[in-house]
Amino acid sequence: MAAQMNFINVSFAFTLAALAAFAAGYVLNLPRLAAGADRAMGLAWLALSAGLGLLWASLGRPPLSNQYESLLTLLWFIFPLAFYFGRKTGRREIIPAAALSACLLFGAAALLDRTARPLMPALRSNWLMIHVLSCMAAYAAFTLAAAAALRALLKKETAASEDFLLRLAKTGFAFLTLGIITGSVWAETAWGSWWSWDPKETWSLLTWLAYAGALHLRKKGIRGARFGASLLACFALVLFTYFGVNFLLSGMHSYN
Amino acid sequence: MLRYLSSLRLFFSLLAALGAAFAYQTIFNKGAPVYGTGWFAALGLLLAGNIAACALRRLRTAPLYFTLLHAGLVIIIAGAFTTRFYRFEAVLPLHAGEESSLAQTDAASYTLPFSVKLEDFRLEYYAEPQGVITVEEGGRNYILSSKEGAVIKTPGGASLKVLRLLHDFGLTGKNEVVEKSPYWFNPAVQLEIGLGGKKKKLWFFGNFPGMHGQDLPFLVTYSLEQAEIKSFASSVTVKRAGRPDVRAEIAVNKPLRMDGYTLYQTSYDPADATYSLLTVTRDRGLWVVYAGFVLLLTGVLLWLRK
Repeated sequence: MAAQMNFINVSFAFTLAALAAFAAGYVLNLPRLAAGADRAMGLAWLALSAGLGLLWASLGRPPLSNQYESLLTLLWFIFPLAFYFGRKTGRREIIPAAALSACLLFGAAALLDRTARPLMPALRSNWLMIHVLSCMAAYAAFTLAAAAALRALLKKETAASEDFLLRLAKTGFAFLTLGIITGSVWAETAWGSWWSWDPKETWSLLTWLAYAGALHLRKKGIRGARFGASLLACFALVLFTYFGVNFLLSGMHSYN
Repeated sequence: MLRYLSSLRLFFSLLAALGAAFAYQTIFNKGAPVYGTGWFAALGLLLAGNIAACALRRLRTAPLYFTLLHAGLVIIIAGAFTTRFYRFEAVLPLHAGEESSLAQTDAASYTLPFSVKLEDFRLEYYAEPQGVITVEEGGRNYILSSKEGAVIKTPGGASLKVLRLLHDFGLTGKNEVVEKSPYWFNPAVQLEIGLGGKKKKLWFFGNFPGMHGQDLPFLVTYSLEQAEIKSFASSVTVKRAGRPDVRAEIAVNKPLRMDGYTLYQTSYDPADATYSLLTVTRDRGLWVVYAGFVLLLTGVLLWLRK
């Protein structure tokens, strides 16, 4: 357990350092610090990849089966998504937003139970990988969308960030669609029914509907700051679906 | 009317109603689920009508992704209704060597168009479980090696010797102790306990901790470690009139599809290692839903590229 924990802690440390450098660069008006922070974020991602790789090797299966493992996977998606969208849209402020949300998620991961148990029979399936990866990719994109929306709202820059927020929300929505569909197909194979109204299923559907609602509201002219606020409200549902359902509601997705 | 049915206003109202229903059901409702009620079905019907009306109204001008995505959703809801009204689900309880075509629900039993013979039920652990014998005396724990013949003496002067270890303790009609199955369903250990010059033989059971607690000056616990189950599976032969038999293995995540029916490995009975519970379903809505999934996913991917 030791080696992968070292890498994961190093990744956390790099992310914290990046966040501190972004903050210092902003306060002291030193753009060079921000460039260094970008590199620290890159190193944080490499360390996290190494940590997850070692965890995978030590478990003998992909680290996707409990909340702790899936949260590390969610974190792993944050970095490349932030770099991709930062480069693609030229809005580099997504990197500090990613650093902040990654620090919070690393903090949450530290509070979770790390006990790794062998997979129960229902989880022993090739669907595990695609289902959990799509859901975590979706949550990562929604996390970035919420962080970027929060930043845009605070700086009153939502009009300029509109297109960027939309891209992130669309990416998350597409991955969540894939996550729910793969979950449904897997449920049919494992549990005998393509939909069982398990609380996790229900809240995922509710989250999906909420983002669908936000995207349709935008068509109706709810843009700018109000679109940013709707992304924050939707993200509250993501948090409840991902954390709240596990801790507050019991169901077939209770694996911890 | 059609204008209202296709409106975003109706869509937002339905979202709010569904959201409220889901939150109420998952957090507050302790009674019958709302999903089976007529009003919930009405919400689903309205949602399908809303999406269909909106997509139809824009059919000529809308881009392909829009039509695919919305058609996919309508088809999924149509499939959901097909499943709701026509899905058949029943259980097929079997013992090894037994053949049956009678599937049971709470209310009735149905004769399937084929019969299923359970050849064998198998359960697999990740690693062979380990029995652990713990002796607690005076607030301290002592571990007695779980091997036949192993001996421990407690500071209190008692001696404990392992006589017999069983994975699945059972009794014959003549009250003889036997190993019922190779699985750790009823783990038990027989100890010879020497106490104050007297010796007695006692059984301790993993499933019933605290036995003989009142009769002894110490507490013996027999527990299992690493008893995680990897998989369980039924080997079956499916027999159909006028057609060759089909031999197959049904396991969790590995159902058997047969003439429109699907057989799932659902459960087993720790009290009876020869028993296997299969679930039989027939769901014509499934393929409708999957067709909807394909359209929805294609639509979403095209929309993403836009």
